[in-house]
Order: sequence, then structure tokens, then C-alpha cells
Amino acid sequence: MSRPRDADYSASAFVIEFKSVGKTYRSLLGNSVKAVEEFSLVVRAGEILGIAGPNGAGKSTLIAMMLGYLRPTTGSVEIDGSSPRHYVERNGVGYLSELVAIPPKWRAQTALVRSATLAGIPDAEIPQRVDYVVDLLGLGEHRDKKVKALSKGNLQRLGLAQALLRDEKILVLDEPTHGLDPLWTQRFRDIVDDLRRPDRTILIASHNLDELQRLADRVAIIDRGRLQRLVSTGYEHAAPAQTRFRIAVAAGHDLVRAAFPQAEEAGRDEFDVTVSSLQQLNSVLGDLIAKGVLIASVVPERSVLEQQFREAVGES
Amino acid sequence: MNRGRLAKYSLWQFRDFVFERGIAIVLIGFLWGYVTFEPMRKMLGPQWTGDQRSPVWGLAIQFSSAVVSLAVLIALNGITSGDRKNGYYRFLFSKPISPVAYYAQMFFVYLVGVLLAMLILSSLLHIILPAFSVLYFLLYVALIYMAMGGIGFFLSVATRYDWVSLAAVWVGARILRAVYGAKNDWRSKAVELLPPVHRVDDVANSLIGNGTAHTSDIVWLLAYGLLFFVAGLVFLRKGSLAD
Repeated sequence: MSRPRDADYSASAFVIEFKSVGKTYRSLLGNSVKAVEEFSLVVRAGEILGIAGPNGAGKSTLIAMMLGYLRPTTGSVEIDGSSPRHYVERNGVGYLSELVAIPPKWRAQTALVRSATLAGIPDAEIPQRVDYVVDLLGLGEHRDKKVKALSKGNLQRLGLAQALLRDEKILVLDEPTHGLDPLWTQRFRDIVDDLRRPDRTILIASHNLDELQRLADRVAIIDRGRLQRLVSTGYEHAAPAQTRFRIAVAAGHDLVRAAFPQAEEAGRDEFDVTVSSLQQLNSVLGDLIAKGVLIASVVPERSVLEQQFREAVGES
Repeated sequence: MNRGRLAKYSLWQFRDFVFERGIAIVLIGFLWGYVTFEPMRKMLGPQWTGDQRSPVWGLAIQFSSAVVSLAVLIALNGITSGDRKNGYYRFLFSKPISPVAYYAQMFFVYLVGVLLAMLILSSLLHIILPAFSVLYFLLYVALIYMAMGGIGFFLSVATRYDWVSLAAVWVGARILRAVYGAKNDWRSKAVELLPPVHRVDDVANSLIGNGTAHTSDIVWLLAYGLLFFVAGLVFLRKGSLAD
């Protein structure tokens, strides 16, 4: 399914609303740490929202409040008009936590069967649902292993499998590709793309900006507990941020040098070029291709999101 | 709306109890009983009788009462705080279930588990001491589980160090009552509010021995435990699941 544009968000009913949410941790000695401050955001059905921020920015605290594990010190969170705890107790959510914590003595299969029982899946459907997620996440050869015997990547896949057991309307994935190899990182992206649905909301908290750029419709950049920026990841917003590109050329190097006199040679067959706009880049590349230049790749030096992230976190 | 299937999950909770606590309770109780009674049986020889006039009857009551307290401590250890400490609450409570219902059910499933463990041990004791009534003993187990377990449940919800806190409360209440209970001042009134541990010995003697006990003792012990159990559930409802 393709990404909805901004206009689609305003048309759909919101699902999750953060209203001036704040969370302050207080120690017995009276010391206090503000983990989240004045956070307001509406996340709508059909949207994939990314949450990005440096370590300790407040991402996990925000998710814990959204799932009702923590109570905000100020403000409130609502899911479909209910308190988070109320919503989760009535409907459930698919949740992959940052640290996948499943009792180490359980077997992977047992963890999934227990999870399915708690999720309310009828006995008769449990085997097929478990088989489905085991196949989807490639856990077949690991299903009889104890959780403590699983590698980090396999544990992460088990965590994702239990989150996908039921057809949830809300999915929350906290650092979902942490520990996954490149093959499974790509597979995860395909899975999330397949999960996109008009009535489903997906939140992904990640340090991996490239991942969020590819998957999310919008990304909330938070730092020091505050929402610094809300960035749309669509390339229609890319023009101002992206002016520097690395172009790899298979043939016609001289023509590229002539078209971009300021180009810096970045390595064999690669040039770093600066343009004033995407239109200019496309126009020049069009001319070069017409003249027989073979372009192998064009990669922005920094993605829109990375640029915005650096500015937001640097400015805060 | 979807509801999780908590009743079905009680079978998993019971399985967890058996493997993580029940077997340990039975083994500890058996070994403790063996090293306590077997040497005496050998030493007493024909003087060993199985009735209440047996020289070991008093010891049997004390021993069985102590095993019950230990079993409750083992059973309730980390009943809710363990999931918080290990982060399992994230896995459990993203599902459509109420933590209050989940832990309330677990409390009663563990009661069944403790009763079964005590049934095994008391049946063994009954073999060598036929006057020892398994039924009366199980009534005592249920009463102490509710009294001591209710407080333990509350402490597990409220703190991370529940079994240490429970042991401290249980022993501390005994000591404070012994020191201040007889004085006729505010301190003797204050210790009245402490857990009614001092009633346990009387109840153990009369309930395990004869199947009877003062109603006021039973009500006081049950009410105290239930009050804390309910307070634990309220705390669970109002507080945060995460530390």
C-alpha cells in the first residue's frame, strides 16, 4: 500500500492523542529528572509514525505512557478517547519492546502459545496463528529452543512474532531492527510495509533514521523530552534539505565533470555534486543520460530526515 | 473489543507455580521434616506413638506451622515485583488483560498450589503421626496463606524487595508485640495495628490439633490479610506497572 499524503491524515479519525504530556521521575531523596515535557501530538489511523531521538531523549518513557505502563505527571494520553490502560485492556496492542523480555526458561513455541492465549485467540486458531508468525519471522528451526538459547536477532524476531500474533489496530515497535542482520532488517521493512492498513496505526521508535525515512509517513524528533520537530518523510518536502548528492557513474565520466564543474571526485567512478534544487539535478542528469552517460546511482549525502534530525537535536 | 483468556491462562500459571516454586517447597519441607523427625523416631523407638500424647506432637505442630510460613514466603516471593524487575509486564500487559485480574487470579492459583504441596507433605507426616489431621492442617494453610499472603501480595505490588519485607514485617510484628504488647500505653495500642502474628501460634495449636479456633482469631487474621490483598489490587490499579 502506498503512503497516504498529509491530507489523508486530517480526513481520518485520530487514534492516539498526546495532550501536553509530561513525566518527571522523582527519587526518594527529592532529586527529579524530567523525562518528557509538554509533549503534544495526534497520531491518526493509517499512519506510520516514527519516533527518533538520541539516547535518553524520552522515547521509551513516551511509549510506556502510551501503553499505560506509566502515568504521566502532567497532561494525558488518549487512545480512541479512552485512557491507554483502558484501551489496552479492552483491545490489546501489538508491542515489541526495546529489550525483549520473555522468561528465559520458556521455549519460543511456548512463549507464542501463551501470548496467543493472553491475546484472546481461541484454542482452535492458536496453532495456525503461531505457525503463521513462525513462518513469517523464520523461526521454524528455533521454535523448540529455550528463549535463553536464542541469539539477539532471533530473540528480536520472537518479540516481533508475539506482537504480530493478532490482527491489532495499534502496533508499537521500539527499536525493532536492533540486533537483526541486514537480511532480516530488509525483511522487517517488507513486513511493516505489508502491515500498513487504513485502520491501523504503527509507531516505530528507532535510532535508525534511514529505516524511519523508508517506513514512516512522519517522524517525531524528540530530544530532552520535548518534541523538537515533526517531519514528513515524503520526497515532496526534500528540496530545501537536499542539495548535495553522490553520483556513481559507469560510463561518461568526462561529461559528468563538464556538467558539474564544481564536482569533487569521491572515489573511483563517484562524484560529490552540489545543486540548488532537485529540479536542477534532474535537468542536468536528464541531459547527461541523453548524451549517453550511464548513471549507476544517485544518493543524497544526507536524507531529509537526517538533515532535520541534525538541525533539531543540534538546536535544542 | 477483545478479551484475553485469563481463565485458560491459569493452567500456565499453575504450571509455573509447580516448576518454579511447588517442587522447591515440597523438597525443602520433606528434607526439613526428615532431618527433624527421623532421628527422633529412631531415638524414641517404641515410645514413638502416633497420637496427640506423643512426645513429638508439640514439635509436629511447630514444625508444620513453620513450613506453612516458609511455603507462603516462597510462593509469594516476587509474585508481582518479579514481572516488574524483569520487564515481563511489557510482554504480558500489551495483551487485552487487566493486571488486577491477572495477579488476583495468580494469587488464588498459587493458593491451590500451596495447598497441594502441603497436602503431599502433611500426608507424609500423617503416615508417621496418624493423629495429624491433613484436613485440619489444610484449613490452617488456607488461613495463613490469606493472612500472610495478603500482606505479601501488597508488599510485592508496593516494593521490589517483597519477601525480605514480608519476613521483616512478620518477624518485626512478633518482636514489637513481645516488647510493647504488655505495656499499658500508646505503644501497646499502636502494636495492635500490626499484623496479628501473635495469634498464629494459638490458631496453629487449636486448628491443626482439633480443627477448632477462636472465631475472633480467624476473622482477625483473614480480615487483615484480605485488607492488604485488596489494598494491593487497588495499588495495582492506580499505580504504574513500570518501575
